[in-house]
Amino acid sequence: MNTADVIVIGGGIHGCSTALHCRLRGLSVVVVEKDHVARHASGVNAGGVRRLNRHPAEIPLAMASAALWQRIEDLVHDDCGYRQTGQIRVAEGEPGLAAIAARRRLVEGLGYSHEQWIGPEELFELVPAISRHCLGALWTADDGHADPTRTTRAFARQAAALGAEFLTPCRAGMPRRAGGGWQVPTDRGTFSGAQVVNCAGAWGGAVAAALGEPVPIEPIAPMMLVTARMAPFVDPVVASFDRMISFKQSPNGSVVIGGGWRSRAEPDANRAHVEFGELHRLIGTTLDLFPVMRGARIVRSWAGIEGAMPDAIPVIGPSMTAPGVIHAFGFSAHGFQLGPIGGAIVADLVESGATSLPIEPFSIARFAGQAWREAS
Amino acid sequence: MRSDRIVIVGAGPAGMRAALVLAGAGLNPVVLDEAPASGGQIYRRQPRGFTRAYDKLYGFEAGRARALHAAFDADNRIDHRSGTLVWNIEGRRLQTLHDGRPETVEFDRLLLATGAMDRVIPFPGWTRPGVYTLGGAQVALKHQACAIGRRVVFFGASPLLPLVASQYAAAGAEVAAVLDTTPLRAKLAAMPGLLAGGKTGWKGLVYLARLAARRIPYRHGITPVAALGSESVEGFAYTDASGRRHEIECDAIAFGYGLKSEWQLADLAGCGFEFDAGNYQWQVVADEAGRSTVPGVYLAGDGTRIGGAELAEIAGERAARAILTDLGDTGQGAALAACARRIGGQARLRRAIERAFPFPAPLARAIPDDCILCRCEAVTAGEFRASIDRLAPHDVNRAKAFSRVGMGRCQGRICGPAAAEILAAARGVEVKEAGRLRSQPPVKPVPVAAFADAAEDAA
Ligand SMILES: Cc1cc2nc3c(=O)[nH]c(=O)nc-3n(C[C@H](O)[C@H](O)[C@H](O)COP(=O)(O)OP(=O)(O)OC[C@H]3O[C@@H](n4cnc5c(N)ncnc54)[C@H](O)[C@@H]3O)c2cc1C
Repeated sequence: MNTADVIVIGGGIHGCSTALHCRLRGLSVVVVEKDHVARHASGVNAGGVRRLNRHPAEIPLAMASAALWQRIEDLVHDDCGYRQTGQIRVAEGEPGLAAIAARRRLVEGLGYSHEQWIGPEELFELVPAISRHCLGALWTADDGHADPTRTTRAFARQAAALGAEFLTPCRAGMPRRAGGGWQVPTDRGTFSGAQVVNCAGAWGGAVAAALGEPVPIEPIAPMMLVTARMAPFVDPVVASFDRMISFKQSPNGSVVIGGGWRSRAEPDANRAHVEFGELHRLIGTTLDLFPVMRGARIVRSWAGIEGAMPDAIPVIGPSMTAPGVIHAFGFSAHGFQLGPIGGAIVADLVESGATSLPIEPFSIARFAGQAWREAS
Repeated sequence: MRSDRIVIVGAGPAGMRAALVLAGAGLNPVVLDEAPASGGQIYRRQPRGFTRAYDKLYGFEAGRARALHAAFDADNRIDHRSGTLVWNIEGRRLQTLHDGRPETVEFDRLLLATGAMDRVIPFPGWTRPGVYTLGGAQVALKHQACAIGRRVVFFGASPLLPLVASQYAAAGAEVAAVLDTTPLRAKLAAMPGLLAGGKTGWKGLVYLARLAARRIPYRHGITPVAALGSESVEGFAYTDASGRRHEIECDAIAFGYGLKSEWQLADLAGCGFEFDAGNYQWQVVADEAGRSTVPGVYLAGDGTRIGGAELAEIAGERAARAILTDLGDTGQGAALAACARRIGGQARLRRAIERAFPFPAPLARAIPDDCILCRCEAVTAGEFRASIDRLAPHDVNRAKAFSRVGMGRCQGRICGPAAAEILAAARGVEVKEAGRLRSQPPVKPVPVAAFADAAEDAA
């Protein structure tokens, strides 16, 4: 029988980061991934490394993760395509300005200063290509973006280099108790370990349900559009307080546009189709914000499968029903930036049962006893 | 049955013939094609105001072209919408750009007759101005009576090679040389099959004879080295069968390695695929009557399996009769069987053509490191190999994610076959083990502005 200190279900960025941080603490790890590393959300996301406009509960984690992104090359021996271009969220009208004012009160009230107000002049200087109807923006100068596949693979590679074992493609069945620890049946035999980590992304709800603590997770499929390469015209990642958009130009010149527009996810079939139905509104917003885009051509599109929680923050922390199981899933379409710290938190929990970061708001307990029923 | 909305994508021989059969049965098929006029690639029409005669435009195929054009134009039950690019399929809806404006076309039954494009293997200098595909060179001549250069080198392994070269010679361009990557031995071995294949096989010989009559050199077993020149093409370098290097002066080069099915829409529709060893490429799975694995979606012509215009037309008829059968018409059996016989009769010729112009996989596997492999994303073969060494992708989709090869505006339609060979070589497996690039909408680039105008209209 195969044994390890920790059995991780899922080879996305959170599973791979968990494996790396466990190895750094000397724990033996097996990662079980049903497809291949970075096949799902972690390999196909927009690559946004963003603290700007995070849920207040996520800010301390995002700050700690940002510190790891700063030295990402030391951590995983790859620069991950990480570029600190800044992130900007503009106000296009009065509602946007009001949202910025409220946001500033909130963030400053919590004692943070990473989100800065910039007026129109400064905005136009930072982003000369942006439309002049914008009224100002919040800006985090040292946020940025990275290459998602490359990053996730780098975590996996470094974890493997330090001795983590990766089983791909290999599906994990549901964990079951065995003695004081756990057994996880897989396509390649049963593995036993002292602890199990659920990093199964959109599929994480199935693992939790099998342990008797179902959660109202929704599989979603955020969509992205890509244009042919264009001459460089924008550095920071740009979003809006008034409309759903996230806009950035890749180092190679192609423009990648998203912002949370969703199509149907089919997690059982491993599929997410792009549905263009409403995307013309996203394209309208794009043209409003960047008139230069009138000459652009869309060459590709894609969608990825992600797990979303009703309160839009992930489940992180020990199981309430199954001692020795730790959850880290349901990152609700913004878990890429949290990847580097997510694994460190889980490794803390594995090692000592505690972590110095405030993770209470992410406890799975918040869904216990709630009168909710999974849709279909 | 009469209320079924039948949509055909592609107005080449397969799509046109299918439309005629359906219209003949009293139906009103919609035919969508991005070109300004029907005809497809082979029976492409000249722009308005051009007056070349049919035999000048279509050579041996003039009679067939004239008949098909005339019948198609005369049939007012066919709703032909030219200038319509189909760029996505969602369920039973096609998303199109019609004269640049977004339009949705719904269907109950869909026939994909999307044809083929040149299959390419990048070689040093292939991105220089003056390098064309064989098909591209032919289109320039057929459509607008333009040659790609004054002195042209033709090379590759394709039935188009002797054909386009002799068309250029007849049109008055100087053909510097015709250089075939197939060894003479292999060509001779395929001869009996070609000649037993009836008219089509003999036509090939006629093109060769015409080239010989003009004293145009035709060499076998060559290996391309580079398109030479400081900016645009000034010459072509190759090595002959014995390994000696030659340089030819020219101002244009046309090359290609047979044709490659255009199956992106079938992919988006969810159709099944299989690797066809004879054609040496991925093809959409179709039953003997052209039904795909997706109910209501049918296939015909080069988009399903490369076979040329004559076969495409029969396959179009066959798919149309399959549609009629599926709509409840029980009288199609005999006609379907006749189609099957005619198609079966060409099987030997098809095999012979595949053997006479084989895809030179070793050439693709040996593309030099400093040669651009993916021109959309400007990735060299060496960079692609390095990413394979580093990240060990097991299929082309992974390799694409790691290297950006195939991520650009052509989505790998150009560089895909060569990239798959390089990956297969690195992994030490057959090319089919490297898999097939998944298609993503839009299958061809769509201008952002078109959507914006639609949004304004809706507002
Ligand atoms: C289009 C898109 C854009 C996004 N943009 C951003 C962005 O800009 N910034 C940002 O921070 N975040 C972004 N996100 C969100 C981010 O990608 C995710 O939050 C993050 O990658 C989640 O990582 P994960 O490891 O939890 O999940 P995943 O990457 O989905 O990994 C979970 C893995 O578990 C495996 N698995 C599941 N069940 C089993 C089983 N039983 N056995 C074995 N393996 C199993 C799955 O195959 C999968 O590989 C985006 C997401 C998408 C889809």
